[in-house]
Amino acid sequence: MFGRIKSALVSQERIVLVTAVILFCVFSLFLKGFLSAANLLTLVRSVSVLGVLGVAMAIVVIGRGVDLAIVATYAMSAAWTLRLATQGVAIGPALLLGLALAVAVGLINGLLIAFAEIPALFATLGMAAFVYGFVRFALVPLVVVYMPANAASISWIGGGFVAGVPTPILLFALVAFLGHAFLAFTKAGRFIYAMGDNFAAARNSGAPVRGLIVLQYALSAAIAYVAGIITATAVSSVNTNVVNSSLIYDVILVVVLGGIGLSGGRGGIRNVLVGTLLIGILLNGMTIMNIQYTLQNVIRSLILLSAIVLDSLVNPRDEQTEQQGDI
Amino acid sequence: MTASPGTEPPLLEMRGVGKQYRGVAALKDIDFDVRRGEVHAILGENGAGKSTLVKILAGAVTPTQGEIRLDGEKIHIAGPSAARRHGIAMVFQETSLVPTMTVAQNLYLGDEKFFNRLRGTYIDAQQFLQSLNFPVEPTATVQSLGTAKRQMVEIARAVRLKAKLIIFDEPTATLTPEEKRHLFTLIRRLRSDRVSIIFISHALEEALEISDRITILRDGAHVVTGEATAFSRETIVRHMVGRSLTNALYGRADAARKLRAPGAKVLSVQNLSMQNQVRNTSFSIFRGQVTGIFGLVGSGRTETARIIAGIAKRDSFHGGDVRLEGRSVRYRTPRGAVSDGIVYVTEDRKGDGFFETMSVADNVYIGRISSPDSRGVLARRSEAQTLAESWTRRLNIRAIGVASRVIELSGGNQQKVVIAKGLVQKPRLVIFDEPTRGVDVGAIAEIHQLIGALADDGLAVVVISSYLPEILSLSDRVLVSRQGRIVEELAADEATPDAIMFAAVY
Repeated sequence: MFGRIKSALVSQERIVLVTAVILFCVFSLFLKGFLSAANLLTLVRSVSVLGVLGVAMAIVVIGRGVDLAIVATYAMSAAWTLRLATQGVAIGPALLLGLALAVAVGLINGLLIAFAEIPALFATLGMAAFVYGFVRFALVPLVVVYMPANAASISWIGGGFVAGVPTPILLFALVAFLGHAFLAFTKAGRFIYAMGDNFAAARNSGAPVRGLIVLQYALSAAIAYVAGIITATAVSSVNTNVVNSSLIYDVILVVVLGGIGLSGGRGGIRNVLVGTLLIGILLNGMTIMNIQYTLQNVIRSLILLSAIVLDSLVNPRDEQTEQQGDI
Repeated sequence: MTASPGTEPPLLEMRGVGKQYRGVAALKDIDFDVRRGEVHAILGENGAGKSTLVKILAGAVTPTQGEIRLDGEKIHIAGPSAARRHGIAMVFQETSLVPTMTVAQNLYLGDEKFFNRLRGTYIDAQQFLQSLNFPVEPTATVQSLGTAKRQMVEIARAVRLKAKLIIFDEPTATLTPEEKRHLFTLIRRLRSDRVSIIFISHALEEALEISDRITILRDGAHVVTGEATAFSRETIVRHMVGRSLTNALYGRADAARKLRAPGAKVLSVQNLSMQNQVRNTSFSIFRGQVTGIFGLVGSGRTETARIIAGIAKRDSFHGGDVRLEGRSVRYRTPRGAVSDGIVYVTEDRKGDGFFETMSVADNVYIGRISSPDSRGVLARRSEAQTLAESWTRRLNIRAIGVASRVIELSGGNQQKVVIAKGLVQKPRLVIFDEPTRGVDVGAIAEIHQLIGALADDGLAVVVISSYLPEILSLSDRVLVSRQGRIVEELAADEATPDAIMFAAVY
């Protein structure tokens, strides 16, 4: 990345990374079967969809936005793709139409935020409800859509292996790599950091802020669609009820836990990887230990809280760090 | 002038106080004292440590070494509330009042009675404000007040809490001359009530006028303390910058300065109006000269500039015409203005000027890739690097390297980064809004030089300032703004301080 965005945030990222490593070592020592190659692949695979969604969210959050429609886009556009295939549309066009739906949602989000100047929180919350309602009403009248036989040709996306590694992991890696390249090496990426840092200054400098906002949400929606297709092909179905689950909070958790501040301008895809990894290790270990689901939630939230507390202890925010203008 | 020099022990004493941030000393080994009932000015360039020093007293910053004594007793100021308990109050640059609450509520904020009657509070506040002779309505909300009145409320709060020491951080920056006089009267009254005052300012004349003693800091170290009468402008400046600076700065060097003749007309504004901030204003800007726009805060100068540069929201203005080289333009966004070569250098660099998490190089580079002639999709690190290096050299930006974060620089260097970010866009019209506000003395001279050089290179340059000496020393032509419109145009040779001030306040 350009410059030294590090100093302030390395710490949160590092704390989370160290926590992840410690957990990993403890689980490796005390949990039978944790360290096996098969289990490690299962571990990463189980969070790869979450990670892909995290990349989508990161691109928006770094530009000081938030996309609460990510999960709705993820589930409903994938559901429509399967539905179209079921109705006899060839899988190629069905995929394209699904992608078009997702991107349309992203474009509308972007237009509402950039041109109608509605706060991202409300615009995307409203769109999430609209997309879910509209798709269920007009396009997919079922709660659960199953993958039809004529779509078998794409089942490798979620269920395949390359050299023994499950394809969802590889796709996660690919999306993360492309996301990083976009943020770090393109002008649009630089502008997104600039908007997140100081939106008014970016606008005054002549940056095409409106176009960039639309681009951010369109990208986020397109990436969400990729995640949707991974899930759909991995479990051969889409359960549209996921829109009403707590998945959206998990996505935000992954992003924030990794150290991307919700105030924008800070962090990168690396932070998403670190956050995703910690969640993955935690969930996997607890599953092996056969801890009941409600207790898992308690532990997960405690880990999150302690990561944040630790960060504020390491980085005390006094007057000076807040407004270092005049020493 | 001083109440009782020397004989009485000082109210406040600091011995060997220092503050380090990650190993960098912002303040080193400061000895400083304040007597009872004196006005003590602290002067220094930005980054000299003034703010850190008073923030230590106000409890906002904890010193890493040294001791503080109040009334001879060693104290530890753990936080703002501890400072208040010790009778130390600070009147902030950005006021710390709650804007949506009324004046009375703000005055009693933090120690309301359990059963709080608003009416009773208003009556108390009314009496209290009258006893101070402050013309402030206790039932008015703070957001409806101007800067001067907000300051009065802050001062009233400090007095109400029986502060023994009141710290003013740049209190006059946004005041009109009238309000400034009122503030000084107040400070003198507080002094006669044996309240001690610490006064931080960039305006040396003010410090000389109001203070009993003056302390000068440089690079975080104490340089000199002495009776105000023992100082002159020149000695202060010499102590502040640590080098002998000829008095070119702000000197009325009219005789020596060659005025630039106007070139072609670049911009003409006709009957421009926006809400009640800009009212039917008309003027022109020419190539190859510096046009100074003087006016008091709130006279519509900034708003006019922001319309021209496309920053003001389009739906909020009502009419009029802006012509750029004869072509009628009305920008929806700053991007349109930038692509036509109009650059606006903001008055509030932290608010909408630079990117604080980014390096110097990245800041300048954002300016570069925002220009419409920047082609391609990829960001090139090497281009950012070389661009920033050449501009830091050209503008003499003092940073450890172009990879330093802008937030770590002093005010003057931050301002230079913002200017560089604008100049990489190769503008033909540059509008500087308060270009030297919160900028240290050394950098002021450099920025002034740069502004002159831009005009010499044939650019149309506009300088908006509420600091009269700045307008006088820079402009080839002076426009005076009052109540939302340009009311007077003066050639540099007829622009005397009196003539300008007369037009500005009428």
